[in-house]
Amino acid sequence: MLDLLAYDFMQRSLLAAAMVGGLCSVIGVFVVLRGLAFVGAGTSHAAFAGVALGYLIGWPPLLLAIVFGLATVWITGWVEERGRMKLDVSIGILYTTTMALGILFIGLMKSYNAEVYGYLFGSVLSVTPEELSIIGVLSVLVLGLLLLFAKELYFIAFDQEMAEASGIPARQIFFLLLTLVALTVVISLKTVGAILVFAMILIPASTAYQLTHSLTALTLYSATIGILTSVAGVLISALWDVPSGPTIVLLATTIFFIAVFFSPKRVKRARLVHSH
Amino acid sequence: MPDPRPPIIRFDQASFGFPGLIALKDISLTIYDGEFIGVIGPNGSGKTTLCRAVLGLLAPVEGHLHIFDCACDELRCYHRAKIGYLPQKGVVDRNFPVTVLETVMMGRYGALGLFTRPGRKDRDIAMEALTQVGMDSYRDNALGQLSGGQQQRVFIARALAQQPKVLILDEPTTGLDITTQHNVIELVQHLHDELKLTVLLITHDINMIRSRVDRLVLLKTRLFAAASPAEVLKPEILHQVYGKELVITDKDLVIVEDYHHHH
Repeated sequence: MLDLLAYDFMQRSLLAAAMVGGLCSVIGVFVVLRGLAFVGAGTSHAAFAGVALGYLIGWPPLLLAIVFGLATVWITGWVEERGRMKLDVSIGILYTTTMALGILFIGLMKSYNAEVYGYLFGSVLSVTPEELSIIGVLSVLVLGLLLLFAKELYFIAFDQEMAEASGIPARQIFFLLLTLVALTVVISLKTVGAILVFAMILIPASTAYQLTHSLTALTLYSATIGILTSVAGVLISALWDVPSGPTIVLLATTIFFIAVFFSPKRVKRARLVHSH
Repeated sequence: MPDPRPPIIRFDQASFGFPGLIALKDISLTIYDGEFIGVIGPNGSGKTTLCRAVLGLLAPVEGHLHIFDCACDELRCYHRAKIGYLPQKGVVDRNFPVTVLETVMMGRYGALGLFTRPGRKDRDIAMEALTQVGMDSYRDNALGQLSGGQQQRVFIARALAQQPKVLILDEPTTGLDITTQHNVIELVQHLHDELKLTVLLITHDINMIRSRVDRLVLLKTRLFAAASPAEVLKPEILHQVYGKELVITDKDLVIVEDYHHHH
């Protein structure tokens, strides 16, 4: 295993996995608490349509992924704010529309393009130095903004109206959160892929949710779980020659179920039921 | 006789809602600094709309609303932080993973503004607020594990941590047992007396607050009365809003007459 770590590509993928794992799991806390779980899924498919369009017309795929991702979250946020439609309905429509566009763009390509599929299923072991630096810069940007607005983000996740009433610019913070979700999805596309990035956002935060009642601890646990499962997933995938994306996600899911089983919240609830 | 205290909230022929769906119509009402006001009225009478307006979350579609001498749609974050708010129960996710102290600390966030992290001073203010509501020993408990009455106390502490001038409580006793209801109202009165807060208390329980408030505001889309409880709690006034079944007993209790018992 140590020989493996000597390879440049291996070091790059471990670094990429750690950054993406940490980023997804931290933003995941706000996504889970604010009830935006499905937004992550919708955004990742929209971003994938952007990638496909990029390859079709010869534009930078990540740039178009950001455009598609941002358009999706902003439309979603706007619809939720206006209260015109239930959030899950509007995301469901955007989700399938963008996926249809993605499939259409791939269909329009003259030849088979393996790189596009890399964005769909993730290929962390083939991360290039350039991609690694893009991941690095964007991760620092998103994590920095999350940290800078942490207290406002917590508050709008707890209760957006209460936050607004007590002087937080809640609407702007909500759109900031949506924007950061879109950026996170795009950053993670190459590593875990459009289909599985959603799991990386959702599972570590949901696992941490089982283990603690404190917001601070929740974020720390989630980040730890996210980074460890991503790094371990890449190592396992390299050692046993299995795809990295599913390995990371399945590892995270296993820990999730263990956490549910041993959750102090669950144990306490069980005790309450017995004592009645 | 004009009130000697300075006005703090002033509705001037203000209407709220959307064109075609007016929730509050033509409200003229001045609330003075340090008043304890009970807001009553049937379901859907615009009580919560009144709250949201005073919080600066709704601008009037007609007329004017001034809060702290400031038009309500020009309210700055600084102003909003001066109004503490306890929303209706059920609005907040009670299973949210947050401790009691973390909840109360959120009351500091608006007052601190962006880019400022809460420090030791904010923690002290939050702890003091918890002490004021008698919940300081629960600071590290999970909010979701507290009883309904305890949670209400924590939310009142969160509002107090804003160091507000005005405290708005939207049906704070709903869903609580009768003793706890009494304790919560008692706490609100205590805070009004001790901290000289202007209090707007929305409730359906007229009997519980009638001896405590300075004025009762009676709403049903329009403002039907805004005067002392003795002036408002008269059959001819209440009947306009609640219908003829409402009676006032010889012990001054407002009750709904049950015709089945008479027949």
